[in-house]
Amino acid sequence: MITRFMTEVTTVFNPFSPKAKTARLFLSFLPPNARQTGMKINTKLLPRASKEPSFLELKFKDGKEMKLDTEKLGIKGVTEEVDRHSRILARQEELTGN
Amino acid sequence: MPPRIHPPSRAIASILKCKQPLRARHYATAAAITPAASHEQMIHSSPPIARFPSTQPPSYKPPEFRKSQLLRQYASLLRSTPLMLLFQHNNLKSQEWVGLRRELTKALRKVDEARVAAGHASEPLADGIKIQIIQTGIFAAALRIVEFYKPDSQLSTLDPTDPATPSPATLPLYNDGLTHTLSAAAHEAVVDTRTAHALAPLLSGPLMLLTFPNVSPQHMKAAMSILAPSAPDFPAPTRRANPGWHDPGVQSGLQKLLLLGARVEGKVFDVDGTKWVGKIEGGLDGLRAQLVAMLQGAGAAVTNTLESAGRSLYFTVEGRRTMLEDEEKGPSSAEEPKE
Repeated sequence: MITRFMTEVTTVFNPFSPKAKTARLFLSFLPPNARQTGMKINTKLLPRASKEPSFLELKFKDGKEMKLDTEKLGIKGVTEEVDRHSRILARQEELTGN
Repeated sequence: MPPRIHPPSRAIASILKCKQPLRARHYATAAAITPAASHEQMIHSSPPIARFPSTQPPSYKPPEFRKSQLLRQYASLLRSTPLMLLFQHNNLKSQEWVGLRRELTKALRKVDEARVAAGHASEPLADGIKIQIIQTGIFAAALRIVEFYKPDSQLSTLDPTDPATPSPATLPLYNDGLTHTLSAAAHEAVVDTRTAHALAPLLSGPLMLLTFPNVSPQHMKAAMSILAPSAPDFPAPTRRANPGWHDPGVQSGLQKLLLLGARVEGKVFDVDGTKWVGKIEGGLDGLRAQLVAMLQGAGAAVTNTLESAGRSLYFTVEGRRTMLEDEEKGPSSAEEPKE
């Protein structure tokens, strides 16, 4: 997963729901020095009885915001969505030559 | 031409060979007769020969694999650990782990010292509280075996050859009497409980366990204020009291740790429940003291109630006595107050 274009990650999930696996795995995919390189990571854990859906909000360097429904998407789907936009940004960066 | 009667086969020949010297001895001297088998030997069969060493019973899962040994290790951990906290760790570096372990040990030692200073004669727990990274799948299997496989209660006395056995009764497939963690019986018992345990959804992704050998809310509070500080109840150590905790290495490690839940004496708690357990003042001793105080208060109230009845009776009777005495003294006295 290309993580270097993300500036902000917000996740909300109930760890006791089996569908929270996607959000948790996404957090574990972020590189170890993510916070030092200026990524803001906010995680909110819901109590055990809550039925609220889990979601994942991303902000990219170009200002694009993305809200992903981790109840439906698996980790593969989330990676795909993130990479789709990140590849565009990577190409632009390459073309501008810096 | 071959003889019509075949010579005796090898097995029979060996039996005959064995028998002949015996018979000869029988005829030779009366003293050499083998003594008859005792009554005990006649009615009891000889004990069965053990086919395996008692320390290595045959197992369903191959014991030479690392997986199987991890399963055993986790099962024994689950059986011996009444209190454990589950954390998710997201890509911590080894230096950060070292820092976290150092800070945790320091805080727990401090709790131990405080307990000794307060006069609690309890063994130090700090060395028994460990951070451990687990393999989630194997841990889930071990959890299912510990929670759902109770060999003592399941040991069925049903015998398929016994006519008293009801026909719809399901007999265990493997009744070889082995009940250890890797046995076939354990595997059979938990085979369809994959999602049955409340902790099962938590067991995915990178997981870390903090295991306590004893339910001690004080140690738990210290550990939580180090690993998952939250403002009012589990305050983070101040920079002056504990500068090591504010190291950038430790801090970046802490940001990547995520408290998910706890397992306390077999029950599963979420984050709020975990905080509630950690908030119990004074630990188990504190709870006991509260209970004793409550019972003492109740006892005093009961005594007061019972006493008050007796006291009022006493007053009544006493009043009546004085009244009668005054009446006996004669009409000279003034009129009596009526009750």
